[in-house]
Amino acid sequence: MFPKLDPILHSELRLAVMSILAEVESAEFSYLRKQTDSTAGNLSVQIDKLSAAGYITVEKGFKGKMPCTTCKITPEGIEAFKNYVTALKEYIS
Amino acid sequence: MEKTNENKEMTAQESLSLINEVLNKSRKSILRNNGKHFILWGVLLTVLSLGIYELWHITGNPIWNLLWFAMPIIGIPLVKLISRKDDAIPQNVISKQISKVWLAYCVFVTSIFVISIFTGLIELSLVIVLLLGFAECISGIMLKNWPIIISGFILGVGGAFAAALMPTAAEQLLLFTIGGVILVVTGLIIKFQYK
Repeated sequence: MFPKLDPILHSELRLAVMSILAEVESAEFSYLRKQTDSTAGNLSVQIDKLSAAGYITVEKGFKGKMPCTTCKITPEGIEAFKNYVTALKEYIS
Repeated sequence: MEKTNENKEMTAQESLSLINEVLNKSRKSILRNNGKHFILWGVLLTVLSLGIYELWHITGNPIWNLLWFAMPIIGIPLVKLISRKDDAIPQNVISKQISKVWLAYCVFVTSIFVISIFTGLIELSLVIVLLLGFAECISGIMLKNWPIIISGFILGVGGAFAAALMPTAAEQLLLFTIGGVILVVTGLIIKFQYK
């Protein structure tokens, strides 16, 4: 029987955000937006969902006088991402 | 990547492709950014080494070597300036390790430089050019780029050999000009590799 895919990660934009964050220590909102080619509103909603699931932490601060949001993957997020990729591979094989 | 859609139903294959595509795009953007730093430090090294060589050559006074301390004074603010413009590109494991290699290089060179000023026992140019080539070579290994690995090896080993053969310390400075040019070329190779 195939493992169930994590519904939090099984969404295009959330998966893209998690893929980027899995590779870096942290990333700013502007970088995530540029890399995922998404709108600020949509990205913000998806980041909130990932944060609510405990997969990422979101830190709001300032860079000079400009507001700056930084996202970081949590150990739970890394574990969930690993499990998701493993499940995907089982589906394919 | 096409515009991401939250509600799009993805197959397992599509999900894996998306992960691969996003990771590659992000990785390219991070490593391409490294190229800028190689170019900046390469230009600085080329200009300073030529300047110090000329001043030393004209005046005959090695005191001009103290101008090397201008390198971090000019370079670090410039790094901060270009980093501010690059839309907050983060670092990944490879870019972080490359930064650490070059930080270690700076610590080694500064220590050797200070020891040499006080003792005069170390063949300074030979050691520094060897370290420069070594750091370049390690960067190439991390980036899996053969031209960078080979140029690092040639710069380090060839430069050390040339330094031993050169008659005056002033002439040895030209090895750093070559080193600076190699750093610029490395930066251009990185930018091209991760275009």
